[in-house]
Amino acid sequence: MRVRFWGVRGSLPVPGPKTERYGGNTSCVEVRSGAGTRVVVDAGTGIRKLGKELAEDEAGRSDVHLLISHTHWDHIQGLPYFSPLYQRGNKLSVYARKRDDLHLHAVFASQTDDPYFPVPFAEAQAEIAFRELSDAAKFEVADVKVACARLNHPYIATAYRLTADGASVVYVSDTAPFSDILFEDEFVERPPSPGAELPAKDRQKLAKMRDGVVRLCQGADLVVYDTMFTAEDYKRIPHYGHSRPSDAVDICREAGARRLVLFHHAPERSDVEIDGILADARALAAQDAAGLEVEAAYEGLEVEIGKR
Amino acid sequence: MEIAFWGVRGSIPAPGPATVRYGGNTSCVSLRPAGGGLIVLDCGTGARNLGMSLMEGAFGQGRGEASILLSHAHWDHIQGFPFFVPLYYPGNKFHIYGGAQSSAMLEGILEGQMAPQYFPVQTLKNMGAGIDIAAIDEGKPIAVAGCTVRARTNPHGRAGALAFRIEEGGRSVVYASDAGYGAGGPPAASIELYRGADLLIHDSTYTPEDGQRYANRGYSSVEDAVAAAIAGGVKRLVLFHYDQDYSDAEVDALCARARRLLDERGGRGIELSGAIEGATLKI
Repeated sequence: MRVRFWGVRGSLPVPGPKTERYGGNTSCVEVRSGAGTRVVVDAGTGIRKLGKELAEDEAGRSDVHLLISHTHWDHIQGLPYFSPLYQRGNKLSVYARKRDDLHLHAVFASQTDDPYFPVPFAEAQAEIAFRELSDAAKFEVADVKVACARLNHPYIATAYRLTADGASVVYVSDTAPFSDILFEDEFVERPPSPGAELPAKDRQKLAKMRDGVVRLCQGADLVVYDTMFTAEDYKRIPHYGHSRPSDAVDICREAGARRLVLFHHAPERSDVEIDGILADARALAAQDAAGLEVEAAYEGLEVEIGKR
Repeated sequence: MEIAFWGVRGSIPAPGPATVRYGGNTSCVSLRPAGGGLIVLDCGTGARNLGMSLMEGAFGQGRGEASILLSHAHWDHIQGFPFFVPLYYPGNKFHIYGGAQSSAMLEGILEGQMAPQYFPVQTLKNMGAGIDIAAIDEGKPIAVAGCTVRARTNPHGRAGALAFRIEEGGRSVVYASDAGYGAGGPPAASIELYRGADLLIHDSTYTPEDGQRYANRGYSSVEDAVAAAIAGGVKRLVLFHYDQDYSDAEVDALCARARRLLDERGGRGIELSGAIEGATLKI
């Protein structure tokens, strides 16, 4: 199974000389099994270049399964620029968590509605299907097994584990740690006051959610994790719903995962700062004998796991 | 007046080594009138960097005031709005103007971008700053930051895009992003808006060849930009809103092409440059 990173940034794309090495495009990761099944997780601006490659390499024919962690802009904003959408004969299946308030199709169709985008979704030529998922859904996409877990993020996000060729990759983005705030649908206006205790009900929900994420990452070959925050960021803005590298290291250790990829870098983070964050996370992982490997996602990173 | 470019790209931000020199952020230009104040033209992703620079001044203390003129609501002209930090500081004041049938509709368009399925802040009301929103009545000039602003709709997409002429004490700047004139060239009303401007910032998405290939997309080629500058008799033309796939070398070539076209077609006296993210100009 081959994992390729097309967009590694959170919040919004950040072009410029300070992000040249790790890349400025928003979240998009492609997973391809040895049998050729293509699963893409999230459709941030990174998906535009994947689309261009598909249009060239596959003579305009593509069959893509797109798993969406959640529909915040940085995870869907590239889809209108995914050129295979506009080619007859292509197939696109979009999967995301089921909600009570909105149909998944409507969330995507509104993105290309007048006055926001010139080409309405209805004019896309590809055959597009939507599938809404329960929090702990398990399903198969050809030879790729998919399992889901709920994450702790405003408006709720989903983590995915993909298994094929005897290997597993888990995508955990976006999520806050499972300790100080429980995120559901409401807007959380400010950080909790220092020392404030969470209601027991919320604590239980968070503990259960954390167990689910550890289980999802159990023995994984690769874990891609939202580590947008530094320890300082988390102190200041825990209510924005993102994790620190130390949170990801803890989860990976508990789950006995082999390799962690730091992901969803903050827009303000320069290449040099990410180098430093990576060095610190490696030092942290090296403090025990489990041998967790750590790297930081960059645009163009390819990781081969299991057999092809 | 001082003009600064924060985002010069069209359609979608284009990060990467190939766009570092001209910049990959989508449309955002700021204008500081000589008499003080601030006008922001469009809120593509370039608005994020503008916002952060403003936080070093009055906006950082909740005492800033600015007017934002939106040409239209395609993503590349509004997607930086949720990331414009001064909007989150109570005490700051923003006056937003744009094209829509009513002010309520314009507010609805901006609210749509903030909705919980798309953005965690969920509504404009959670942002903090004072925001008032007004649809522009094309026929009526408005007073903004001590300047007179006139607007005209250029053909673009379903609803068109507003071009703005901003005048202060006999000096004038025109911002005309996203203009798909078609075979007839710029309409008389647009030329009238551009007339004699000291500076025309004009949509130059494509080379003439790509402009023909993608004629239905509603953008200008450099040929259209040159035609608009010559017909309007402007003093200076700045190319703007480059295609997301053009590398720095290709934009260099686009600028050289525009210079040749100006010289060949009677615009030898018109100054020309390509917009560069981070650059400033004084009028």
